[in-house]
Amino acid sequence: MNSFFLRNPSTLWFLMGLGLFTIGVTILSEAGIGFLSTSFIKILGKTLCLCLIAVAMDVVWGYCGILSLGHFAFFGIGGYAVGMWLMYARTEGIVLDSLAAQTIPPTPQEISDAIGNQIFGVVGSSEFPLVWAFADSLFLQLLMVVLVPGLLALVFGWLAFRSRVTGVYLSILTQAMTLALSLYLFQNDSGLRGNNGLSGLQNIPGFETTPQATISLAFFYASALALALGYVLFAWVVSGKMGSVIKAIRDNESRVRFLGYHVESYKLLVFTLTAIIAGIAGALYYPQAGIINPAEIAPIASIYLAVWVAIGGRGRLYGAVIGAAFVSLLSSWFTGGGAPAINLGFYTVNWTDWWLVLLGLSFVAVTLFFPKGIGGLFDYLVRKP
Amino acid sequence: MSTLLEVSGVSVSFDGFRAINNLSIQIGEPELRAIIGPNGAGKTTFMDIITGKTRPDTGRIIWGDQNISLLGMSESQIAMAGIGRKFQKPTVFEDQTVRANLAMALRNPRGPFSVLFDQQTRAGADRIAEIAAEIGLTDSLARTSGALSHGQKQWLEIGMLLAQDPRLLLVDEPAAGMTSQERAHTTDLLKRAAKTRAVVVVEHDMEFVRRLDCKVTVLHEGSVLAEGSLDHVTANQTVIDVYLGR
Amino acid sequence: MRRVFLFLALWLGFAPALQAQDLQSILQIHATEVADPGRRTVNAVLDDLAVSGLSGVADFLESWQDKAVWQRADGQFFVAAEAGNDLHLTDIVSGAQSTASKANFTQIKPNGGVRRVIGTALVQFQLTDPDLARRTTAVASIARSPNADQLAPLLASIAPEPDADLRARKVQLANFLSASFAATPNDRIAAIDNMAQDTSVEARAVLNQILTVRPGVAAMLPDNENVAGVLTPGQDMTPDAAYSLLVAAGLAPPRTPPGVIRAALEAHIDGGRVADVPVAQLNTNAMRERAYAGLAAAGRVPPLVTPSDRDAAMAAFAFFEIYAEADPAITDAAKRALASVETRVAAGQTVDLALDALSLASIYFLAAIGLAITFGVMGVINMAHGEFIMMGAYTGYVVQLFIPDYTLSIIVALPLAFAVTFGAGVTMERLVIRHLYHRPLETLLATFGISIALQQLAKNIFGTQARPLTSPAWLDGAWVFSDVIQISYIRIAIFVLALIFLALILFVLKRTRLGLEVRAVTQNPGMAASMGINPERINMLTFGLGSGIAGIAGVAIGLYAKVTSEMGADYIVQSFMTVVVGGVGNVWGTLAGASLIGFLQKGIEWLNPSNTLAAQTYMILFIILFIQFRPKGIVALKGRAAAD
Repeated sequence: MNSFFLRNPSTLWFLMGLGLFTIGVTILSEAGIGFLSTSFIKILGKTLCLCLIAVAMDVVWGYCGILSLGHFAFFGIGGYAVGMWLMYARTEGIVLDSLAAQTIPPTPQEISDAIGNQIFGVVGSSEFPLVWAFADSLFLQLLMVVLVPGLLALVFGWLAFRSRVTGVYLSILTQAMTLALSLYLFQNDSGLRGNNGLSGLQNIPGFETTPQATISLAFFYASALALALGYVLFAWVVSGKMGSVIKAIRDNESRVRFLGYHVESYKLLVFTLTAIIAGIAGALYYPQAGIINPAEIAPIASIYLAVWVAIGGRGRLYGAVIGAAFVSLLSSWFTGGGAPAINLGFYTVNWTDWWLVLLGLSFVAVTLFFPKGIGGLFDYLVRKP
Repeated sequence: MSTLLEVSGVSVSFDGFRAINNLSIQIGEPELRAIIGPNGAGKTTFMDIITGKTRPDTGRIIWGDQNISLLGMSESQIAMAGIGRKFQKPTVFEDQTVRANLAMALRNPRGPFSVLFDQQTRAGADRIAEIAAEIGLTDSLARTSGALSHGQKQWLEIGMLLAQDPRLLLVDEPAAGMTSQERAHTTDLLKRAAKTRAVVVVEHDMEFVRRLDCKVTVLHEGSVLAEGSLDHVTANQTVIDVYLGR
Repeated sequence: MRRVFLFLALWLGFAPALQAQDLQSILQIHATEVADPGRRTVNAVLDDLAVSGLSGVADFLESWQDKAVWQRADGQFFVAAEAGNDLHLTDIVSGAQSTASKANFTQIKPNGGVRRVIGTALVQFQLTDPDLARRTTAVASIARSPNADQLAPLLASIAPEPDADLRARKVQLANFLSASFAATPNDRIAAIDNMAQDTSVEARAVLNQILTVRPGVAAMLPDNENVAGVLTPGQDMTPDAAYSLLVAAGLAPPRTPPGVIRAALEAHIDGGRVADVPVAQLNTNAMRERAYAGLAAAGRVPPLVTPSDRDAAMAAFAFFEIYAEADPAITDAAKRALASVETRVAAGQTVDLALDALSLASIYFLAAIGLAITFGVMGVINMAHGEFIMMGAYTGYVVQLFIPDYTLSIIVALPLAFAVTFGAGVTMERLVIRHLYHRPLETLLATFGISIALQQLAKNIFGTQARPLTSPAWLDGAWVFSDVIQISYIRIAIFVLALIFLALILFVLKRTRLGLEVRAVTQNPGMAASMGINPERINMLTFGLGSGIAGIAGVAIGLYAKVTSEMGADYIVQSFMTVVVGGVGNVWGTLAGASLIGFLQKGIEWLNPSNTLAAQTYMILFIILFIQFRPKGIVALKGRAAAD
């Protein structure tokens, strides 16, 4: 392991930076001097999750050359999986409380009906759909966080890679998969509350009395830990011979085949592994966001993900982290009304309206003028100290 | 010399154009064989068919001691069976070092999980050093292969072929764009390799073929026109017509 | 049928005998019945009026029905309109106008029942009215609320009907009425048999009306009723529904739902126990039922109907459906006719579905054809293509702001939309895409950036609400073949537009110098350049052409759907799918892809009509699978050109 860090000093630097950041946030949070509000801690925690999925995206795109426009779907699936348990367990608590007041103790059927009514009332149903079969078990739902994105990626990837769909075709295909999934979830009879999505996820069952400040800090730590572990995992994957092979696949797939490597297995492994990490990132993100709905999974989210990685710098893991953190924080600053409006005299530029225009044009600028992204600046600094 | 590869009656057409027409060739082991022919004779397509890139419409390709059919095997399976290929245009992985390029080609388990948990071994490093010495790139092992000269890239690719330790090497125009000194080195490389395995060289350059001093097969319009020593085939009237006629 | 004609013959035969009289004198004969009509007595008046054949009868009946007939103190009847304290009088016979004080008059107010009888009588006059519009109205009113009384007058009015269309309609309607109301079963069956080829909604309603069933339950199947079929609980109906039938028929005690059990248990808690079961144990249905059974045994609650009680009760009775129509011959005929009609309707629906699919395919084709050029021919992936469609649609909207005439504005908008998006495409190609020709994935991202910028820009300029793009009046409405098959003109127009584009693009690519150069540049830019073709110029023009076509498609799509800033995004994935499924680099492929996707989507929607979202989901899944089997699309390029 020592040699791994020695060979990859940037990983060590990254871990140190992340550690310092975590300590700094703790000091500034309400647990410390109270400079940072709880909602800002949540934003930071969510950003760490986005950084994690961006790292996964960087591995699949920047290293393996698969521009997947479906990884945010895996992220969303992770969110849904954990959200189902959160919603079920919390509703169960509320229902049990209200039924306890009755003279006769409730039957299991009555409890289940009442929970069903609470959860599915908005879509005009009270029956538990099949997908909720394991919603009462935290362990099984956490297993789903890993299994469902993993299996979906495995099946989809197997189909796509074996028929040698590559390049933009693969991108379009993954985008279609994402679109199909989000359209499916938008239906009321999808069993996941249609466009209402799952809500109230910030209330963690069993911690009803714990203040949100503490919960958000806990999730912030969990996200930081997940990012650290994910980063090390991927740094290890891409640093060895595996990294060599997947970069070779990115650069010349057919040449790698003639070297005797079964390219499809490699792509499938990378695609599935990153999908699983994306699912885990989503499972950590949505309890902090509090709500998940099908719009989150729409293809555009996956494209944004690609854009973060492009802006941060492809083919370097810290670039993905920088891109995701930079663009998503900037985005919430601009759209949250944090940026001051610019008065041009004849027209006032209101950033909530113009941020997307700016962002869109900056993709163009980055792809045209800074193909290495922000991360490319580091090369510049290192080369010319 | 036993037969390693037997191609018989293979045809393939693209949009009605017969690129390979009832082609039959046998390669022994060890053997050095040169394949020559005018443009469009089907040289590259011949290699594509053997390596699994193109599927023939008809014909048989039998490989090795167990007489396995190569039809229906994927490119990577064929490569693992012991057929290595060098492309016309040098295709090395330019973003990676010479060492990484060679390490990827080394004859090791190719499964994704064994690659993921691959440990760099002493033996592997020795073999890389050995090949680097053979192709004259010992000093460049740590360099990015994109920074190599054209000739060095060709050698690196031959080195990668050697690292694969194949029984049959298919080499497409190895001397293109090389200085005469580099050509001499390339010739030596190939001749040495052909002592223990089969090497098939596709080449335009008659001078280079002459230097290889081996059996020559002339392809024309997708089938074998003549076969024998270089002097024998160049004396053949049809071969002269084909070459002059173009 | 024969009886009806007999009746008509008699009726017409009597008419001349009474012709000498005028309207007022006939009314005077029945003055009491006219002034105070009752449902029984009014028929005598109506019969005489009908037989009289006088021209003013219909007008009089209408006024009578509308309570606009007044009687003067001397007994004379007038049609009158109130004006304050005065009446504007119209003489019933001469039509002479006059005014008089209300004081001398009494208004005649027939009650509702009488008015209906008058209305029915009125029909026969209206049906033979000289005015075509009034006859048409009368026929329509019969169609709205058919009843038995209308049959005879309707039949009588067929022969003298001068208008061929209306006569056909009358025959059809008379047939409907005969099917339901004709006097003899044979007449009805004949009428029903006549309907076996009528696919109209009306005809199906008439047949369904005849075949109306009601559920029934009894110890034995009744043999004096026209039984439609036997129902088996658990198979044709849920056991609960069957049991409710029994309960409704008073043949079984009502079930005790869980809520009632609980309420009963709550009401009988006695010292922490209910019928010896501790309250804390009442958290399963089994324990609750035991406690309830205990209460029932003590006679404190009605007994529980257990599932086995329910099954036993259901086994003891027969469940069936009975036709409201008693005559089996008639219901059999109706069933036969309906089956035949439904076969025809199904065939018609298939045709209609195919037309729908065709128009959807045209829309996809229009949306994708520009892409087939930029993506298919040039290999440039332009995620902003959808926004070019949107730009075209907004161009049409803006043009309509300045040119109020819709026909003219569309004629102006089409070339203008082409010009605008051509310009946008050329600009984008020059500024962005040409620098990225060998980096397709980055082209995807850069054009996606342009796409979101354009979308937001449109939102900032035009707002988030949908803008109208109104089609000219001559495109409103639909081409109706039958009640089942119809297609709106706008869809036909889009179909025609798609055909024009197909022809145009094939012409440009295959028959013009530009097309030749485009193909040369896409196949081998270096060689093309050495032959004096300027690849930069060709790329620019090709991209402009593809974008310009997107603009025109935008106008067409805007006419048919809403114009919003997101409309492009709705089509972009489908458009790429169309091109990929069809086969990249081939206009025919795009056509094939659009057809496949259009027909597929309509087909799936037909299987699952309530849910278009699901239809889209399944369609995309199908496409993903389709690409497994034909990775290069339907019309695949072969050979070396397709290798990379």
